[in-house]
Amino acid sequence: MTQTASPQATEANVDTMDWMPAQINMPYTLTPGQATGIFLAELAKRRLIGSRHGDELIVPAQDFSGATGEPASGFVEVAPVGTVQAFTTGAEGTLGIILIDGSTVPFVHKLVGTDPDQLEVGARVEAVWADEPLGGMLDLAGFAPLDGATSFDPKDDPADLAEAFEKVDYTMTLDYRHAYGTYYGTLFDGVKEGRRIRGVKCSHCRKVLLPPRAKCDVCLAPTAEWVDVKAVGTIQASSVVHIEFIGQRQKPPYVYAEIVLDGTSTRLIHMVGNVDPAEAQTAAAPGARVRAVWGDQHTGSLADITFFELIPEGEGA
Amino acid sequence: MTNIAIVGTGQTEHARRRTDVSQAGLAREAVIEALDDAGLTMDDVDSVVIASGPAMFGAVNQPEKWLVDALGARYKPVVRVTSGGGTGLAGALAAMNQIKGGSARRVLVVAYDKLSEGQLQASISTLYDPFWGREFAVGIMGFSAAYWHARIKRLGHTEEAAAQVAVKNRKHAMANPKAHVKKEVTVEDVMNSRPLCWPIKVLDVPPISDGACAVILAADEDALAITESPAWIHGMAYYCEADNAADRQMIQSEPLQIAAAKVYADSGITNPFRQFDVAELQEPYTCFELSYYEGLGLCPEGGAAELVESGETAMGGSLPVNPSGGCMGANPIGATALIRLAEAAMQVTGKAGGHQVPGASKALVQAGGGWANLRGVAVVGSEKR
Repeated sequence: MTQTASPQATEANVDTMDWMPAQINMPYTLTPGQATGIFLAELAKRRLIGSRHGDELIVPAQDFSGATGEPASGFVEVAPVGTVQAFTTGAEGTLGIILIDGSTVPFVHKLVGTDPDQLEVGARVEAVWADEPLGGMLDLAGFAPLDGATSFDPKDDPADLAEAFEKVDYTMTLDYRHAYGTYYGTLFDGVKEGRRIRGVKCSHCRKVLLPPRAKCDVCLAPTAEWVDVKAVGTIQASSVVHIEFIGQRQKPPYVYAEIVLDGTSTRLIHMVGNVDPAEAQTAAAPGARVRAVWGDQHTGSLADITFFELIPEGEGA
Repeated sequence: MTNIAIVGTGQTEHARRRTDVSQAGLAREAVIEALDDAGLTMDDVDSVVIASGPAMFGAVNQPEKWLVDALGARYKPVVRVTSGGGTGLAGALAAMNQIKGGSARRVLVVAYDKLSEGQLQASISTLYDPFWGREFAVGIMGFSAAYWHARIKRLGHTEEAAAQVAVKNRKHAMANPKAHVKKEVTVEDVMNSRPLCWPIKVLDVPPISDGACAVILAADEDALAITESPAWIHGMAYYCEADNAADRQMIQSEPLQIAAAKVYADSGITNPFRQFDVAELQEPYTCFELSYYEGLGLCPEGGAAELVESGETAMGGSLPVNPSGGCMGANPIGATALIRLAEAAMQVTGKAGGHQVPGASKALVQAGGGWANLRGVAVVGSEKR
C-alpha cells in the first residue's frame, strides 16, 4: 500500500469522467380497479362509461370520488362529446382538459384533428376511436372538433357492461446519468487507466475508506489523503445466488461477496468466480482470501474486475 | 406526559395478487376496517399518514395524491413516509409525533404495497449505489444471505435453527385469517427446499403479497372516548446507521440495539424475555428473526439458535414470537411493519382471535428498512405506562 498526497493538493482530477449512463427498465402489470377497469374494457365497444357518486358523475369511471371518497353507486354510458376547458400544445401534439357532457370532473386526453391556432377554450369536441383497440386508454384515440349538435341520452346502469380489466401491461424505462463527482471520478479514472484502486484516509481515525469520499461517516472529519490499495482482500460475507429474476444483471449461479480489501475498513461488493457453486459454500466463505481478476475491458467501473478469485492457501497475493 | 394509544386497526385480505382492487382501493379497504373498529368516520380523522414502499414497486410516484381520493381525505393534512420494510412503523412514529406536537388529535396511518404489479428484486436492487455493487444485487436477498452466512460462522445461527423459525411462523399463520400462505412445513422441508441465495432457501422466504394495514392513533381522553380498551404505546423509536461506514460488520444490528435500549428505557423494560408476553418481529427472511432475538436482548449474543430450539418463542411458549405468522403469512412490504404493530395491539386488547396469546398484556414490536440500516422498536401494553 502506498500513499500519495492530499487529493485536493495534487490529484486535480483533470480527466475525471463526468457521468455514467444507466437505464432502469421495469415491466409492470397494473390493476386499474373495478370502475376504471370497466371504463377501459368498454372503450373497445366505443362507449364512454362514467361512475355515479351521489350527485357526481365522473368520466372516466372511478372507484372513489375525490370530493367525498364515496364509492361508485352505479355506472352511466355518457355522450362521447364534451367541452375543452384548457389545452396546451407541445412537440407531441395537443393535450386538452375535457369535461364530458353531464360529468362533473374533467380529465386529460389528446386533441386530434385540430389546428391549435383555431382552438379555443369552450370548444365542443367528440370522441375519436382507435381503428384497432389494443386494450388501453388509447383505444380512445382522442377528441376532435364537433360540428353541430348531438343527441345522446345517457344510459344509467347499462346492462351489458364489459368485465373490468384485471391487469394492464405497462413499462417504465428510465434513463439516468449519474455524476461521478471528484471521488468516484478519481477512483474510476485510476481503475480505467492504470488498474489502480484508491481509497481515502480519514484525517482523524486514519481508516481507509473505499469508495473514497469527502468525509469519514463516523468521525465526520475530512478525509486527508489518497491511498493506493491492492486488489486483494478478505471476504466479509458471501452468498450463492441461484435465483433468477427480471432485470437481473448477472447470470446465476454466482457468488455474491462483500470484500474488505487489505488496508481498508469498508465493503467492496463484487462476486467470486472460478469456484464451483457447490464448493463455494465452504470455499468462498467469510474469512476466505481473494484477489481481483481484471478483464480486458476498460470501462472505469467495478465491472473492469471480472470477478475475485480465491487465493490458494500458502500462496501469497 | 402524553399517552398515545392505538384505538383501531384494520387489514385487507392479503393475497399474492388482488386483481379486484387498484393500489388505492387496496389501501381504502384497510382504512374502512380500521374506522369500523374504532367506530369513527373520516370526518373524525385530523390527519393522515400514508406509508408505502419505493414508488418503483407500483410505478406510481407520489401515490398519496391518488389515495386521497380513495380515502376521502380531501382537505386534510396528508404526508407520505417511506422506509423499506420499516415503512409502516416509521409512519406510526410520524403519527405519534403529530399528536405529541399538538398538531392533530386523531391520526390515521395507512400502509400498503401491491407487490404483484412490479418487479420486486429489480426494484429493491436499486437501493444499491449505482457505482458500488448494484450489478451484483439480488434485492436485499444476496446481502441478507451473505451476512447470515457470516452469522452462521460467528454466532451459530444454523440453517436448521432458521428452518425452525420457518416451521414455527408458518404454523402460526394457519390460525391467522388474514394470512394468505397457509401451509405447514417441517425442518426437513425447509432444509431441502431450493436455494435462492444460499444459505437462504425458498421456505426461508416470505410470500410476495398485495396488502394494506391501517391504524388509528389518539391520546389519553381522546383514546378513551373512542374505545374502552386502547393499546397504549409505551415507547417507539427508529434509528439508522451509515451505510458504508468503516468497520461495519453487521453481525449485530447496532441501530436495532440502540432503538431497543431507548424504547426499553422509556417503557420500563429491564428483562425483555420475562416482561413481554408476545412479540411481533418483522422477519423478511427466517435468519433475521434469529438475529433480532439477540439484538432485542431476548437472549445473549449467540443464543438465538438455542432459543428457537427451546420452543419458548412458539405458541404455548413463554414468549410467543409472531403468533400472526409474521411475514411468512403475508408480506406486503410497505404494510408489513404496521401489520406487526397492529397485531401487537390486537394481542394486548384481546382481539387476536384464533391466534390470541392468552392474557397478553405487553407486546414487543420490531421492524426495519433498508439492509439493516434502519431499525425500529415499539412496546404496546393494555395499561397506560
